[in-house]
Amino acid sequence: MKKNWPVLLFLAVALAALFLPAVTLHVHSQLGEETAALFPSSLSLADVTFRGSSALPVSQVPAMEAISFGGWMAAGSLLLLAAAAVITLLPGRYSLGLGLGAAIASMCLGGAFASHLANLSSSLYFSMFISTQFSVWVPAVMALGTAVYLLIALLKAEKEAEPDDGASRRFRLLAAAAALAALLMFVLPVYTVHVPAAFTEDPADAAKLNRSVSLFTAAAGSGSMLSTERQEAGYSRLFTGEMAELESFSSEANNIRGIFQIPESSSTASVNISLIVCAALLVLTIVLALIPGVDKWFLAASAVLATITGIASALSLISVSQADMYTGASRQLVYLGLGGITPVPLLMIGFSAASAVFGVLSIRRANAPYFVNPIPKKRQLQVVSCCLALVAVVSILMPSVSMSFYKPGKTQIQSSATVTGMDILKLQAPENVSSPKDKKGAAMYSDEASDGQLTASAVSGAMNGLVRTLGITGWFALGLTAAGCCLVILRKNRKLAITLFLLAFALRIVGWLAVLTGMPKAVGTASCTVFFYVSLPALVFAAFFANFMHEEELPKKYKLFLMMLPFLVAVLLFSYLPLYGWSYAFFNYKFGQPLSDQEFVGFKWFTEMWTNPANRENIVRVLKNTFGMSGLNLLTSWLPMVFAIFLNEVANTRFKKFVQIFTTLPNFISWALVFSFAMCLFAMDTGIWSKFMLGIGAIKEPVVWLNSPDHIWLKMWAWSTWKGLGWGAIMYLAAISGIDQELYEAARVDGANRWHQMRYITLPGLLPTFFVLLMLSISNILNNGMEQYLVFQNPMNKATIEVLDLYVYNITIASRGTTLYAFATAIGILKTLVSVTLLFTANFASKKLRGESIV
Amino acid sequence: MSKQKNTQNQSTHDKHHHMQLSTGDKIFNFVNYTVFTLITIACLFPFYYLFINTISDNELVRLGYIQLYPQGIHLQNYVEVMKINGILDALLVSVTRTVLGTVWTVGGSAMLGYLVTKQEMWLRKVWYRLIVITMYFSAGLIPWYMNLRMLGFLDNFWVYVIPGLVSPYNVILVKTFIEALPPSLEESATLDGAGYMRCFANVIIPLITPILATLCIFSAVGQWNSFTDTMMLMPSGKYYTLQFLLYKYQNEASSLAALVRSTQDSSSLANLATKQTALSVRMTVAMVVTFPILLVYPFFQRYFVKGIMIGAVKG
Repeated sequence: MKKNWPVLLFLAVALAALFLPAVTLHVHSQLGEETAALFPSSLSLADVTFRGSSALPVSQVPAMEAISFGGWMAAGSLLLLAAAAVITLLPGRYSLGLGLGAAIASMCLGGAFASHLANLSSSLYFSMFISTQFSVWVPAVMALGTAVYLLIALLKAEKEAEPDDGASRRFRLLAAAAALAALLMFVLPVYTVHVPAAFTEDPADAAKLNRSVSLFTAAAGSGSMLSTERQEAGYSRLFTGEMAELESFSSEANNIRGIFQIPESSSTASVNISLIVCAALLVLTIVLALIPGVDKWFLAASAVLATITGIASALSLISVSQADMYTGASRQLVYLGLGGITPVPLLMIGFSAASAVFGVLSIRRANAPYFVNPIPKKRQLQVVSCCLALVAVVSILMPSVSMSFYKPGKTQIQSSATVTGMDILKLQAPENVSSPKDKKGAAMYSDEASDGQLTASAVSGAMNGLVRTLGITGWFALGLTAAGCCLVILRKNRKLAITLFLLAFALRIVGWLAVLTGMPKAVGTASCTVFFYVSLPALVFAAFFANFMHEEELPKKYKLFLMMLPFLVAVLLFSYLPLYGWSYAFFNYKFGQPLSDQEFVGFKWFTEMWTNPANRENIVRVLKNTFGMSGLNLLTSWLPMVFAIFLNEVANTRFKKFVQIFTTLPNFISWALVFSFAMCLFAMDTGIWSKFMLGIGAIKEPVVWLNSPDHIWLKMWAWSTWKGLGWGAIMYLAAISGIDQELYEAARVDGANRWHQMRYITLPGLLPTFFVLLMLSISNILNNGMEQYLVFQNPMNKATIEVLDLYVYNITIASRGTTLYAFATAIGILKTLVSVTLLFTANFASKKLRGESIV
Repeated sequence: MSKQKNTQNQSTHDKHHHMQLSTGDKIFNFVNYTVFTLITIACLFPFYYLFINTISDNELVRLGYIQLYPQGIHLQNYVEVMKINGILDALLVSVTRTVLGTVWTVGGSAMLGYLVTKQEMWLRKVWYRLIVITMYFSAGLIPWYMNLRMLGFLDNFWVYVIPGLVSPYNVILVKTFIEALPPSLEESATLDGAGYMRCFANVIIPLITPILATLCIFSAVGQWNSFTDTMMLMPSGKYYTLQFLLYKYQNEASSLAALVRSTQDSSSLANLATKQTALSVRMTVAMVVTFPILLVYPFFQRYFVKGIMIGAVKG
């Protein structure tokens, strides 16, 4: 088929990418110059794929092995893509479908290869660094493109074809293929553990510690953990090493030690179960798709369920990987090559979803020409309600609470774990939570309590109390939800169903309160994880939809509200949730620890601003700069208006347009770029300003212009005017075009000259706009932003350029290991309060003076 | 419509003036034209200056001879700068975030702007106020940072895109625009059996393209220019954008010099005229960052004038 030539294009691009640099190796000098010379500095995909271990000194560094191991995946991916191209170009009924299958398989392999390499690159080796270029992703992306293209072509071809059972069968086969692809995802690496050879004396040990974990091994529940002997052997080598690099990590050694324990946490149980269920459902989907007589509705339903459990398993995998046995462990994962989770679970979900879509399409083809929703209309809201209740049930069983323990008096967290709902339902704390397995943890909770140490019985006592509360509320919530679900299915007693769901919700809230407050401070803290929070809205919405279970359709006002809901959630998450952070200002906040572990200090940070002389000095200085520079801008805020008035007097429209376009241009470049300009124009010896000043004899020898702290306020004013003048004028030009032209005519008839017209018509016409803008800029006097001052800041001018926003940034995010987060938050709170007050004052003034509001 | 009328009026008014130019008018015109020419030159010259410095002989640039016109023109700087480790990745990140971020923000604003015009929504006014009020306060830098950190957006590409879903100012613009449309169009579509989504996609979207174009430009320029978010939210150095690299190169002269050395094959063979210096790399990266804006700018200029007029009407 000639039509399918784009597939060849995809293939050509993928092949071309073979020769781009794909992996860069930075060999650490520690290996010695000679060894370093053995390594190529950059590898193309072709190197990795076809030369394999022959090109790479594999024996030296395990990472090389990992790279060359990936080669077969890349080669396979490319071969499959080529096969897809060839198949689709052949004529025949099934060529598109077969080609699609090949392309999908190619995409899986290519994606797994790329994510494997990307994972490696995010890990830290003490002897070498790897970074991957985006060309690593090109074959996978091309395969994706091919798959999408073929899918569209296939759907188009199907649309044109006569509806017959053949089409339905083809879609069933596709559904089976997608389910198979999803199942294949189980063998690909989800994450890889790589221990640098330098850690161990014997490279064989490193090889033992290196492993890659697939969904299959995670489901089996064993492969993901290291055997105890290996752990011990690994540890002893890992932490007795005398390498200089290790010294700096010694404080984090405990964290590294913790990594090996994560998969041992009981929370993997939920991962295992959901993965096994998902795999079973995928197999079922394949079987159902391959048996011709089966109702296709079952096929689609099975695929949908597989997708849902897949999502649940991926989420619990993530929450398990983030369940820090020790604080910061997840950060340390990256150092050891467990660089997060690859997209494999996502691909798996994607394929399950594709299988579901194909299943639905096969129903649609069977019932051609129109799509018939398998759920009767009057049952739809009922089904939605039940599904939500099901989500609530699942989320109650998933990992939902994470706990951390520390020695009394020490805020550094020693150990933490995530507990699943299933653990909790047993009504006793899981063993490995109350008695950590590793030696240090065990010593911490030993029964022979020396001073300040917790006893194991104290820990398990505290834990059991909390877990029992959670367990009982959990059991009841489960029961109530299930009962409510039954009522909805039977379409009986709407009000009782709603009450049951809401009661379950209330019980979850009780559990939530128990989690937040139930753990004695002396032992540690507990917090809820994603699944806990998922169960809350699921229950509320289950009740919401149960309310309409007799209806055919949701009332319009609620439909609109549901459409609005995602946006409201986004607003809450990104605009209102940060307000919670204001509470940091009242704690002795230490970065990176939960608020519940922090010391409450009341208004200490607010009074610090004035009582601590050093702080007071800084704040006065910074406020002076802020008001100084904002003030200069305020004093000259009439400039754009004058600019617009005079530009309006330019008769030549082409010239006017030209000026308007090019004076606006600076507004569209970033401050980083403005600084580039400044650096070139005002360079001490080469800049044009220097040359000019030397030329006219204003200075005798080159002077430092840019970095000097002199007149910094004026300089900043000049740059912001340069950037903003033309842009500011546009608003006024727009306002001028709104002035009634007859006024000018009338004035001219009365003998007014040009000056009079500007003075008595244009200017008064613009004053309202000017007034509004002035009020807004007065209320923004504290918010002069930080980008401009940040780029122009240097050690010499810091004292006079630092505005409030920049100061807050400088003392917190920009400086490592700072303890001033709380202080900076306190400043932020005051700033916001002052700004809001100013705004409302300005608004009030505007209302009083002009009778209209500006906000 | 009104704009056309204005320009017409303007030109008749101008003709009227030409006929009776007094000496004072002449002087006024002369001064006016001169001042505006100077201002325009001041706005354009830095772009030109940077450009001639990137295409000139690097040795002459280093000595400060290139001031008003280029000498020893070559394009080697642009070729070499592309070889710097990370530049292509940064370009990819910048382009991706600009495209995705713009589509996401503008799509979200359009949808939300449409939804808030629907009187029949449950508690519409409450939700609308909840959204608009966020324009007037901010929690501050640290809470914002800690919040994104808590939500797992640190070192995450999607932080460039996802938080931009709701921008109250855009929502107000779209809402004002939709409210000015005749309601009959949507009503007739509803009578034909179209739901809200279909109305939005098939009736509203085609009608509000002018305002969407404006929003697209602002959002795209904002995304392209942003670098402080990379600076704060990417602590482990992932997903650097081109703007951030530019900022970084300006501040880290020593690391840049090392970078330049590493890209040079052998210094003895390299021609001084095309040999990369820290200065040339900085300027070339700056130029690379500027080009897309310079290219797109003239075509879309009219849209933002329109956009700000709509804004002004509201204000």
